[in-house]
Order: sequence, then structure tokens, then C-alpha cells
Amino acid sequence: MIQFLHVGKAFPGGRSALEDVCFHLERGEFAFLSGASGAGKTTLLKLIYREIEPSSGQILVNGRNVASIPRAKVPFLRRTIGVVFQNFRLISRKTVLENVSYLPRILGMSQQERRRLAYNTLRRVGLAHRMSAFPSELSGGEQQRVTIARALINRPEILIADEPTGNLDPELSWEIVRLFLEINGKGTTVLLATHEHSYVQALGGRSLVLDRGRLVKDEYVEGHVGDIESDFAGEATDRRRSSTERTA
Amino acid sequence: MLVRVFGYFLSEAAMSLRRSWKVSLVAIVTIAMSLFIGGTFLLLTANLSRVVENWRGEARIVIYLTADELAKEDSRAVLLASEPPWVTAVEEVSAAEARSRFEATFPSVRELFKDWEEEPLPPSLEVAFEADSVEAERLDQWLTALRSDPSVLMVDDDRDWLRQLEALIAILTGLGAVVGMALLTAAVFTIASVIRLTAYLYRDEIEVMRLVGATELFIRGPFYVEGTFQGLIGGVLAVVGLFGGYLLLNPKASTTFLGNVLIDRFLSPGALISILLLGSLAGLLGAVLSLRREELGQ
Repeated sequence: MIQFLHVGKAFPGGRSALEDVCFHLERGEFAFLSGASGAGKTTLLKLIYREIEPSSGQILVNGRNVASIPRAKVPFLRRTIGVVFQNFRLISRKTVLENVSYLPRILGMSQQERRRLAYNTLRRVGLAHRMSAFPSELSGGEQQRVTIARALINRPEILIADEPTGNLDPELSWEIVRLFLEINGKGTTVLLATHEHSYVQALGGRSLVLDRGRLVKDEYVEGHVGDIESDFAGEATDRRRSSTERTA
Repeated sequence: MLVRVFGYFLSEAAMSLRRSWKVSLVAIVTIAMSLFIGGTFLLLTANLSRVVENWRGEARIVIYLTADELAKEDSRAVLLASEPPWVTAVEEVSAAEARSRFEATFPSVRELFKDWEEEPLPPSLEVAFEADSVEAERLDQWLTALRSDPSVLMVDDDRDWLRQLEALIAILTGLGAVVGMALLTAAVFTIASVIRLTAYLYRDEIEVMRLVGATELFIRGPFYVEGTFQGLIGGVLAVVGLFGGYLLLNPKASTTFLGNVLIDRFLSPGALISILLLGSLAGLLGAVLSLRREELGQ
């Protein structure tokens, strides 16, 4: 589904953000991308939906070389990838409904279709009752769930999230992570970037670890039932294990 | 689908105009002013052209003769004047008739000729002709022949001052075009600045749109429509201003010769539509110029 082949990214001035990164994420897989701040997590995610282009190597998404997609076709790539941002990036002057149904609007769906689709997606993230609210009227957790709903509305095959819990308190963070696991359970490939090792340790599963731009670990981790949110973590570990077995 | 997308462009443009109406107003007023000034020139030259066209149809050649020439039965000048096929009528105006016309036209100075023993004005021939059915060269040859006749004192060709009037119209049209285009260019750049400012205000939103998969047309469309709206509104204001000015000045102007000539009729529907189209196009051009790739942070 997502394949990185010796990918490197250097920014103007010569600063290297990624070096020789190789990994392959299968369809329906869930993986954590972790590493300290500045390790290159955001750069790696941006390369997937081509906000930036690699300096070397190849990135294949669904078998297509992302770098070779003409500029005019990039929007069509992005419509197949749901992206969740740490800082939400919601449009403040639009309601929850309008924020979530932006992509269907681009796709030319009728207002009725858009509304129905947005309602169903918001219900999935538990926010159907806040459709008319503006982002400023929502809590951080609610805003993040709106961002997730926006990313999910076109039923993307891939969902990538950049520190989706970075601005949330621990309780809300677990709620969001649980949501990603549920989404993954329905077949969506999920790549979740976080600097919090605790999720990986508690939940287990595929773990990609970056350190100063290099992929230093790519392994399957056993979850530690008994850590925070132990019941949930145990349940999730079972799901990760079965997911891993399925893809293997 | 296209209708829905265009509906989206319209609603977004209208919302943006509402939200930033103060800066939009600057652009609208600038374009309205330039179109109003250009339209004023158009109004004046259109009226002047129409009058010149009417006068052209009534143009005469007046041949002034020596005192006793009309009394001669075999006047060579009369023969020469009525000979060409393009001449449609020759009216003989005697010296007494000329004096009578003068006194009727200028009654305040009729006493001037009271004690004169001789007629003050010469007799003349007023020649009507079809200008379209004769080559200018042949007409000039005919006039030269008339002027060389010893019984002819002077030949007055209406076409001479019509030509001067046409030159004046051409100058006015050129001046109007230059001033109008200069102001319109300024208006285009004002609109471009306003749209650029709006795009800057919405830069975060534009980034989000791009990241969720909006095409460039979808992102730029509302701005193009907004620029076109601004131009169109400016055009409407210019037309309203021109019509208001016409209604205000026309009754007063019609009492004077020059006023009657310059603002006798309002602009044609075609000219009004052109003003609106020009405004809209200027607005669209401003938007296109303002949204070059680098302006949108691409």
C-alpha cells in the first residue's frame, strides 16, 4: 500500500530530514511512526501525500510513484488519502458540517448527499450532534474528531495522522487512538505518527522508529496489558495481532 | 455537477465580498470611476458622431457669384454647377434673398444695412449633391473648375468643416480610449491587490483545501468570480452614474446648441453592455493576475 524505497529528503541549505528510509506498509495494516521531535516523522508523512517531494529514492502509494504524478493530478492522489493534522487545520469560518463535507463538495455531490455522508461520518466519530457548531465552539478532542471525520469522509484507503494526540490530554488521547484502531478494523491502512512511545508499548503492533532522519527500527511490538487503559490496550493488542497475522 | 461547482464559486465569492466589503469597495469605486470617465467620452463622441453623420447628409456646396451673374441667361457658372450627374439640386439665392435670410437670422443687426445702396451680400448657388455616388477626386476637380471661373467669387464646401469635426471626434475618441484604458489598468491592479489581500487572509484555508484534494480551479474559482463581481458592480455603478448625469444635464444642455449636440441622446444598449462587460473582464483579469502560482503559496 505504502512503500518507501531508499527515500531521502534534504531541505534547501543541505539539512537532511530523511536518509535512506525503506519500509513497506501492507493494505489494512496499522503502524505507529515514532521518534523524538525533529526525527523526520512529519516530513515522512508529507512525502506520502506529496506536500513535499523526495530528494532521492521512490515512494509508491497504491503502486504509483508519487513523485512522478503530474502537479495537476496531485489532488486526485490526496483524495485517496485521509490526513489528520496535529493542529487540526479546520476552517474556522465554516461549521463542522461544512468542514467535514468539503471534499464531497469538491466532488460535486448534492447538498443532500453531502449532508447524509457528513452525518454518517460524524456519527462514526461521535459528533453527529455538533454538526452546526463552529470549530471555536468545540473542545480540542472534538476538533480532532472533526479532523478525523474530514479525513474519513471519502472512505480513503489510507489514513495518516501526524501527532493527532499532541494537543490533547491523556484521556482524550486514548479516545482518539481507539478511534484509529476502529477505523483500521474496517480495513483502512493507518499510519499514526507520535512521539509518545507509550501507545506502542501499551497497544503493540507494527512500530517504525525514526531517529535523526533514519529508520532505526521496523518491528512488531507486543502490547503490555496492564498499562494505562489496560482493558482497552489488551483488546487492541488482540486486534493488532490478528491484523498482523492477516497481512502476513 | 458544473452547476453545483459554479454555485459554490458564487456563494463563496458573495460571502467574501460581504466579509471584506471595505477593501472590495475601493476596487469597485476605482473601476466605476474609470468606466464612468471612459463612458463620458463615449457618450460625447457618440452624440457628436451622430450629428456629424446627419450634417453630412445635408452638406451643401455654396458658390458665391459676382453681382449680376444670376441675371445672365447663359451663365457659365450656373451651367457648370448643375452639369455633373451627382448634383441633385441647385438653388439660386439672389442677393436680396441672401440679405433677407441674414436679417432673419440676425435681427439685432438688420439696421446695419438700412442705408446701403448696393446689396451687401453676393448672389449664390446652393448645390445639393450625393457625396456617396461620386469619387472625392472628381468632386475636387469639379470644385477647382468652379473656383477658376471668373464669375465665381468663392466656393464654400461644408465638407471642409465636417472633416475638422471628424478630426475632433477622432481626437476625443483617442483621448477617451487612452484615459479610460489608463484608469482601467489602474483599476485592474487595484482589484488584483484586493484579491491578493483576500487570498492572503484565506491562506490557511487555501492550504487546507489543497491538502484535502481540491484542484487549483476549485481553489481559484471563487476568487475569479469575486474579481468579476467587483468589475461588474463597478460597471453597473458607472452606467447608473452616466445615466444620472445624463438625466441631470440633458434638460439644461438641450437649450444650448453645443449641449444639444453633445448630450442629445444616451448611450445605446450595446454600448452599455460593453461597459458592463469591460468592467467584468477587468475584474477577472485582476483576479487572474493576483493569483499567480507564487501568490497562493504553491
